Amino acid sequence: MSQITQPQPLAAKTPRWRTRFKSFSLGEAGIYYALALVWIVLTALTILFGVQNFLDPANLANILYQASFVAIIAVPMTLVLISGNFDLSVAATAAISAASVLLLSDEVGIYAAMAISLLAGTLIGLINAAVVQGLGINAFIVTLATMTTFRGVLLIITGGHTASANDREALAPLKWIENGFWVAPNLLWCGGATALVAAALLWWRRRRTAMLISGATGVVLIAAGCFFDASWSLAKPIYYMVAVTAIAWCLTRFTIVGRRLQAVGANPEAARLLGIGINRYRVVPFMLNGLAAAFVGLLFAGRLGAVLPNAMSGMELTVITAAILGGTSLFGGSGSVLKSVTGAVVLYSLVNGFDILGLGTSYQGVIEGVVLIIAAAIYTIGKRGRRG
Amino acid sequence: MAANEPVLSVKRLEKVYPNGTAALKDASFDIAGAAIHGLIGANGAGKSTLIKILSGAIPASGGEIVWCGERRAWRKPADAAAAGIATIHQHIPLAGTLSVRENVFLASPQPWRESQFERRRFDELLQAVGYDIDPEAIVDDLPIGRRQMVSILQALAADARLLIMDEPTASLSDTERAMVFDTIRRLRDSQGTSILFISHFLDDVLELCQHVTVLRDGVTILNEPRNAIDEQKLITAIVGRDGALGNIDRSMLAHEALEPLLDVNGLSSPGRLNGISLKAKPGEIVGLAGLLGSGRSEILHAILGADARASGAVAIAGQAVGRTIAKAIAAGIILVPEDRNRQALFANESIRWNTSLPNPDPICAMNLFPIPSLEEQRANEIMSAFSVVAPNADVAIGELSGGNAQKVALGRALAANGRVLLLDEPTAGVDIGAKADIRRVIAALAAQGAAVLVVISDFEELLGLCDRVLVVSEGRIIAERRPVDTNEHELMALAGGLAN
Repeated sequence: MSQITQPQPLAAKTPRWRTRFKSFSLGEAGIYYALALVWIVLTALTILFGVQNFLDPANLANILYQASFVAIIAVPMTLVLISGNFDLSVAATAAISAASVLLLSDEVGIYAAMAISLLAGTLIGLINAAVVQGLGINAFIVTLATMTTFRGVLLIITGGHTASANDREALAPLKWIENGFWVAPNLLWCGGATALVAAALLWWRRRRTAMLISGATGVVLIAAGCFFDASWSLAKPIYYMVAVTAIAWCLTRFTIVGRRLQAVGANPEAARLLGIGINRYRVVPFMLNGLAAAFVGLLFAGRLGAVLPNAMSGMELTVITAAILGGTSLFGGSGSVLKSVTGAVVLYSLVNGFDILGLGTSYQGVIEGVVLIIAAAIYTIGKRGRRG
Repeated sequence: MAANEPVLSVKRLEKVYPNGTAALKDASFDIAGAAIHGLIGANGAGKSTLIKILSGAIPASGGEIVWCGERRAWRKPADAAAAGIATIHQHIPLAGTLSVRENVFLASPQPWRESQFERRRFDELLQAVGYDIDPEAIVDDLPIGRRQMVSILQALAADARLLIMDEPTASLSDTERAMVFDTIRRLRDSQGTSILFISHFLDDVLELCQHVTVLRDGVTILNEPRNAIDEQKLITAIVGRDGALGNIDRSMLAHEALEPLLDVNGLSSPGRLNGISLKAKPGEIVGLAGLLGSGRSEILHAILGADARASGAVAIAGQAVGRTIAKAIAAGIILVPEDRNRQALFANESIRWNTSLPNPDPICAMNLFPIPSLEEQRANEIMSAFSVVAPNADVAIGELSGGNAQKVALGRALAANGRVLLLDEPTAGVDIGAKADIRRVIAALAAQGAAVLVVISDFEELLGLCDRVLVVSEGRIIAERRPVDTNEHELMALAGGLAN
């Protein structure tokens, strides 16, 4: 922005740490600080009022479970937002998928029904993308329209009643996907192994100091894991959430695919002139979004075994709220899947904490709104500071 | 106050930014009443900082500003505006969806959207500048020169005694430029307004201004009446050395005998291009001379395959090139577009990010995983080859000055080792020192066997760089000249449709 005079280029080489440590600034890492703050405050309050401890592992597992549905969609939603688009139709897509898997399982068998639901979700994503990219209509308008349309379709195929399967026994595979727990292996070992892998990558990238720190952490964690058994029983959707997040995070963080996605969102004309296939980078996130929504629909059907036509309505906004909390730009070009998922966890931590404190679910909307404004304010002010 | 007393005195003005960069160290000059005062300097000389301080956007860190005989320090832009300083920023900030009249009176305290008073006042303003414009035209529909006039009227409506104009002629055609100049002179003569005219263009400053100040590295280097200086003296003051461009000696290059590397045949695009055919040999620099809107940029875009409606054939070394951007790039065609911010760079991302976005092969493992150390090496190479002024490669493009960002865009493209280079205004907006560097790099790439197609608005500069010049008008190539056989006046006449 400003024209800066630098008469001595040598002197100007120094403030590297400034850029290195930028990733710890409030504007960049705010959501992680928010998570820490929320957890500390809620833990203190629960201890103070003598109710169930917020930081209890079972409670934390519960929060992750509650957040998982929103988080699984928030990951591809972040990709859609980075690419410069917007998708309001995810909750309707999830509901369609949930209803159709239950209705179709009697007709074609549960496995075919699941496959059809996932395909239908992907197809809805493709339809959204085709209208947005093909006709050049604003994605907000298009997905507002498809959201309304598919809610209508849902009413038609369910006849306005609860959708459920006649043969309840046949739903077993669907229930298996959602219900139940897997015990995570010793978490200290998991953390240690991750740190060692990171150390190997850092060595390859010639970041010596970071490599040593990471390697030492890994060794300490693995050693500690031999003495403490920190295994944790977690609901299955949490594992799906972790897997989806990890894949998308690696893709966006470490590959040129992530970089190009960002380029397409930040400056489509420049990206086009550099030979980057804009359509590809905008259509695929939409399809992934539809696929993830359909998958969440399956989980939802597996959880309840029956679906109302207005199931999950409003969830699209919670997903987008999570992404915004994570600092994703609504104008495209920036965002992080990891931060969006953290945003979802922050939201559900608040809901859960207020629940424990006995404030009831009525406060949920108020909390979401206030937190969103605060987060947006912090990001906006943080960006302003960087420019000044 | 007498006309010869200065309206504004800037005395030893200093500005140190919070990050430690000293943008202004000792800027001093006086602006006389009813005078046009030129301010000129290379990229990063401190012009923008000075404008920001004078218009109240940022505070100075030292020195003083004396306004109409009183020492003042503005705390916010409204203070400066209230005192009678109006600033027209380079990227004219008008409300595009409002009418001309509404824009002109945007800051007025009148409660109604329309009033007789405003209409009368608008007519008065038009008379004062001797210019005619439809008050109800929507600003977005106006060409850029007319928008410039709207912002001048806006400044006038605020009864400004000093008008600060930042690069007002940067994107204007010759007729528009003459119109703006005319208005500025009239303003000075009829209203007694003083104008601080900031520009890159030496000839503009020499033509228009009565007094010229040169800034270099935040210090006033030269501060003299127009009569006491000439172009050479100005250049020396700006660059700090004898920085005349000089023509690149290309007589050694023997590309006469070679087969053409780039062969464009019958390139047409409805409403833009009409049967463009041209050839360029390896090592040849071919200039496209044309006015804004003549189709010169469109030719480059169509060769790259960026124009979906274009038809025609492009071949490199006899091999037909597919008509998509990706295929053209794979065949070795590189474009540096004209509008760097909109068409080439990503302002929020770092220099490193920007330079490693295209052609990932050499810096990626498995063509997928970028390796930071290699990226950084490439970014640093580009930064040192083009003397980009920035603390390091992790600085965001948006934090660089315009000229430096430009050097990054150009450096990135030239580092890609293209076989055919399409350069749209490669030297626009950079200072004279950098211009010479850029010309040298272009010549060096040509000497390595690249074919270069280049568009430069300044025909004198174009002739100094090219082996051959094609004149473009209304989407056609209407003439071909060798630099030795022509001059900028003939090119201008040809491009303007005056001669054959």
